[in-house]
Amino acid sequence: MDDKELYFWRGPLPETQALPPDAAPEPWGETRVVGKPVTRVDAYDRVSGSAIYPSDVILPDMLHAAVLTCPHAHALVKKVDTAGAEKMPGVRAVLKDGMPGTNVPWFQGRGGFSSRLFDPHCRYEGDEVAVVAADTIYQAWDAVRAIDVEYEVLPHAVTVEDAMKPDAPGLRDGGNVPPAAKPYERGNVAEGFKAADVVLEQTYTTPCELHNPMELHGCVAKWDGPRLTVWESTQGVYAVQSGVANALKLPLANVRAIGPYMGGGFGSKLETGKYSVMAALLARKTGRPVRLFYTREQVCRSMGNRPANTISLKVGAKRDGTLVALESRAVGTGGAYAEDGTGGVDYLIRELYTCPNVRCENSSALTNAGPQRAFRAPGHPQGAWALESLMDALAARLGMDPVELRLKNVPAASQTRNGVPYSTTGLADCLREGATAFGWAEARGRRPAPSHIKRGVGVAAGMWQGGAGGPPSTAIVKLFPDGSANLNMGASDIGCGTKTWGAQIVAEELHVGLDRISVEHADTGTTQFATPSGGSKTVPTESPAIRSAALDVKRQLLSMAAEQLKVPAADLDLRGGEIVSKADPAKKLGVGQVQAFGRRGVLVGVGYRGPNPQGKATNPFGAQFAEVEVDTKTGEIRVLRFLSAHDSGRVLNEKMFRNQVNGGVTMGIGFGLTEERVMDRQLGKLLTANLHDYKMPTALDAPADKTVIAIDPHDTFCNTGAKGLGEPATIPTAPAIANAVFHATGLRVTDAPMSPARVLRAMAALKPAPAGRKGEE
Amino acid sequence: MSHDEQGKPAATATGVSRRGFITSVGSGAIGVAAAGALVKGAPPSPPPDTLKAGDLSAVTITVNGRRHQVLVEARWSLLYVLRDRLGLTGTKIGCERGECGACTVLIDGKARYACMTLAVEADGHEVTTVEGLMQGEELGPVQQAFAEDDAFQCGYCTPGQVMAAEGLLRENPSPTIEDVRHGMAGNICRCGAYAHIFTAVVKAADLKRGGR
Amino acid sequence: MLRTFAYVRPGSVGEALEQLEERGARVHAGGTDLLGCLRDGVFEASKVVSLSRIGELRGITAAPDGELRIGAMATIAALAAHPAVKERFTALSDAASVVASPQLRNQGTLGGNLCQRPRCWYYRGGYDCVRKGGETCYAIGGENQYHAIFGGGACWIVHPSDTAPALMALDARVRLVGPKGARVLPLEKFYLLPDDDATKETVLEPGEIVLGVQVPPPAKGTRSAYRKVRARGSWDFAMAGLAWAIAMDDGRVADARLVLSGVAPAPWRLHAVEKLLIRQRLDAKTVARAAAAAVVGAKPLEQNAYKVPLVRGLVEDALGAASRA
Repeated sequence: MDDKELYFWRGPLPETQALPPDAAPEPWGETRVVGKPVTRVDAYDRVSGSAIYPSDVILPDMLHAAVLTCPHAHALVKKVDTAGAEKMPGVRAVLKDGMPGTNVPWFQGRGGFSSRLFDPHCRYEGDEVAVVAADTIYQAWDAVRAIDVEYEVLPHAVTVEDAMKPDAPGLRDGGNVPPAAKPYERGNVAEGFKAADVVLEQTYTTPCELHNPMELHGCVAKWDGPRLTVWESTQGVYAVQSGVANALKLPLANVRAIGPYMGGGFGSKLETGKYSVMAALLARKTGRPVRLFYTREQVCRSMGNRPANTISLKVGAKRDGTLVALESRAVGTGGAYAEDGTGGVDYLIRELYTCPNVRCENSSALTNAGPQRAFRAPGHPQGAWALESLMDALAARLGMDPVELRLKNVPAASQTRNGVPYSTTGLADCLREGATAFGWAEARGRRPAPSHIKRGVGVAAGMWQGGAGGPPSTAIVKLFPDGSANLNMGASDIGCGTKTWGAQIVAEELHVGLDRISVEHADTGTTQFATPSGGSKTVPTESPAIRSAALDVKRQLLSMAAEQLKVPAADLDLRGGEIVSKADPAKKLGVGQVQAFGRRGVLVGVGYRGPNPQGKATNPFGAQFAEVEVDTKTGEIRVLRFLSAHDSGRVLNEKMFRNQVNGGVTMGIGFGLTEERVMDRQLGKLLTANLHDYKMPTALDAPADKTVIAIDPHDTFCNTGAKGLGEPATIPTAPAIANAVFHATGLRVTDAPMSPARVLRAMAALKPAPAGRKGEE
Repeated sequence: MSHDEQGKPAATATGVSRRGFITSVGSGAIGVAAAGALVKGAPPSPPPDTLKAGDLSAVTITVNGRRHQVLVEARWSLLYVLRDRLGLTGTKIGCERGECGACTVLIDGKARYACMTLAVEADGHEVTTVEGLMQGEELGPVQQAFAEDDAFQCGYCTPGQVMAAEGLLRENPSPTIEDVRHGMAGNICRCGAYAHIFTAVVKAADLKRGGR
Repeated sequence: MLRTFAYVRPGSVGEALEQLEERGARVHAGGTDLLGCLRDGVFEASKVVSLSRIGELRGITAAPDGELRIGAMATIAALAAHPAVKERFTALSDAASVVASPQLRNQGTLGGNLCQRPRCWYYRGGYDCVRKGGETCYAIGGENQYHAIFGGGACWIVHPSDTAPALMALDARVRLVGPKGARVLPLEKFYLLPDDDATKETVLEPGEIVLGVQVPPPAKGTRSAYRKVRARGSWDFAMAGLAWAIAMDDGRVADARLVLSGVAPAPWRLHAVEKLLIRQRLDAKTVARAAAAAVVGAKPLEQNAYKVPLVRGLVEDALGAASRA
């Protein structure tokens, strides 16, 4: 990925001002607060129930809105009769296509395609048709059910195979299949395979995964004259501000988006939702605040997904394990509006291992299904499922240890970025130290007693194409005369502990206790500009700006104190609320005793995120190890223990680091074992539109025995040396489990998720080949 | 010997005793007339509580020790009443179909989904929400352990997790990790903080016993 | 958000039956299945009749003669935790402890668990399927990985209950009462197959309710258990499960009852397996014969053939456990 682009950001990124050269701080040495496993600064709010999430916002006189969505996979809305609904008790407003303010362009695409807010051409089950605001949510739903819609039902295609057929029903002019993008190519794969001693080829499939954050998608909207405030469950308040302002043709200054607490997003809350615009329109129409949240069923249908992919992968290697060629073909669908269903799928194939000859070809088609959204490491878990499974098969074929095979091919430079070196790579250390801590060699060598319950271990590695962060980011740190401080930043805390590590950095630089630091964030009315929290870039983007802001305050304070103490500022240090001369520790001042500061009342420090160094590539890396038990009579897989070794640079909070990695692993367990969107081809409807049929991992699916190891190669790409973590943590999980299943049973499950059904199917397909640890590829 | 649901000896119900009732019906070839007599001949009881469709009717629900008289529609969920009528938004809305656990509360000390409980069914019962675990401004032991062990990320499912843990620990004050996994299996944490949730619940058990 | 309905909370069974005479009245026991069906619009209710105030429907009683008597309103959690159930009716406590989730077990009742509607995603979704009075069973040509391999026909649902197969393995009888009076049936006779009626799962007549269940004392030397295989550790219904009660006498099977969950529109009793086990030692050969017999007649759909080896595996596993007694 180009450093200047974020996959979820449309248009050019603003730049923030680069640091003046003299302001670039040295990397931290020993730290007092940064890195330590401190308790989150907002833990109290979150465990007490006092944190107010957007769905908890209750305003005086607030109305409740409900959305009517299309029940068909593909249909034209011929008529919407809202007369009956409008007369129902408590109903205050109904909106449908054609009403004032509703002509808002929405999904846009190639060839000038544009849909609108209530587009009469409904392209999937879930497209919005109308919305009602009423005194209670029950009344709003009564009214939604009373709206009479006449649909002309059209033929549909919900699978990519069906959508690619020549006679497939078209979702838009120009057909379902966008012009093929140019394949990625380096070297010459044909030559590469010719030179290989071993060639393996396999087709892998991955499930369509739904984000399903626990907090539903939605917002509360309220007007004060020309100014609109939106409390939204979002990963980026500034994205909401610009999206809503654009849709309603409002000045940015008149749209305030607020979202300091939000109940999870995983990529599904990066963009502005139709709900924000609908709630604003309803609130304007009624003159009352409006709360509009989608239901869980609607979230399952409409609020994004990780596309299912079919990936055919071929690898060629020398006898000693040196990779010489990789070739992939991936197919996917982004659903009804998103044109790319394969984004990021081939990144690991191109980048994770040294390989001179690579060719990757991707193709997508539009389908009558919910549109995809960026989902935690878009494409990467899919690519890892294929690549890391095939690497394991290659190791088996070559008779090599899977860890050794990977170590043999660890690159020092980025092959997709003109061969520039990585600023650091901890991939080899993740593999080596992870294997040692896991007890890899012993576990692999174990010879269990014969039983239908079999045990095995597996490894997989990964990296994330983002995770370096970069401009823009601005942070402000305010210091008060009593030595307490306030951190002001725009970034959301989507669960990664943004507020906490931000406060830790301020505490580190200003010697302030965490209990004396307040944090305000994620409010376009009062906090600084930030891009949405996604792409594992919040830490590497915001943390250097925060550090710079804290240092800016410190510089100002020390310079004031220097004048008062009549010593050079360079001689002064800030420790425990006091400014002390390094040369003569007797010369000191309490922060409150700095007279110029007292006159000022508050010191404001500003920090910006400067650019990343030229000529270097920065990425996070990781390796994960699983031990599983497979019941070969029932196909059940139990993950017994899991170890993750991650290079995400400097760890800002050891406890949150562990939690974040384990969370990624849990999500990877869902991807590998339980989660799968299922659509019915007959009527084109979503069958898993709830949290029973859509199976996210529970406490009984996640092992209690999880270990996390941090590998820190002391990167200096930014002033905190911290790379992104959220996404890398979920990338290698599923193939690590699959490889453990192979080690346990000799069974190579190539289709995820590995439900008992798939395991039993794979076992049936394996027969009558003799049992044992062979019989694959 | 007669046992109630907890396996403790139960008091005999008034009128036709449960035992007697079960025995008489359970004897097998009971005729229609006899059954009718049994049903119609049951001792008079107060007229049934009735809520008309669409009407608001008063129910009494004790929430966190405080008696609330609330006007409810028959179809309103306890979750809706807690959040939108009583303003207790600590209890979260996640699926409204009993499939996520974000709305977990205790009803008469047992963990239940407020979304799958009609408010009228809580009439006359004691409900405890996450707000009710606070000891003044201080966190209760389960909350304290969740905070210390970083047993959450986005925190949205957390009140439900905390209440499920509270319910579990009231039934099993010294759970093993496996007990905890089973006891917490009715609450999804999409952030996947389970590993920390497990240790937090074990720590909470210790805190509840006065440990530190 | 649910549509509007009236609510009534009778104090006695008699009153409940009177209330249920109204067309559109629905029984609310624990409510966990009822409210889900109402949310999904599977059916509607003009009136919800709550059984929560009827004391005589509660309670779990181990009678002096060894019989277990369970009121319809006993909660699943109470069943799972009951000492006498755990000790002597293990299949039932096993089954109760793997129903849904802890919170749903605290709320759901035995009566509700026996009478819950199927979880077929076509039935629960916006499909006008056979079970809802339509023409088509969408599972036949659709996504049928969770559907039936036995007893299908017009409809291929699987019965969702875990407690029903356990109770059937324990030879339970169910007590019903309705407008026409009371009756007691072997639980096996309580369930219907689509060939009987594809729109209902039980013999319950309109206005009829379950009062409770009685389980005879197990014969000497009987052990029982229930094992459930599912896609996810909690909440999920069985892809397949097996309840068994086997009495051994001097190393040989004296009596055996095996009932599958998750594979047929009703709990599926393995009569042929039971028959071939009688008076046999549970050696490898017998186990293999039993496992093979268990799947005779299976008619998998496109995506659920895995249930055939799964059922075999469950039978092997169960008999292995029984032989280790």
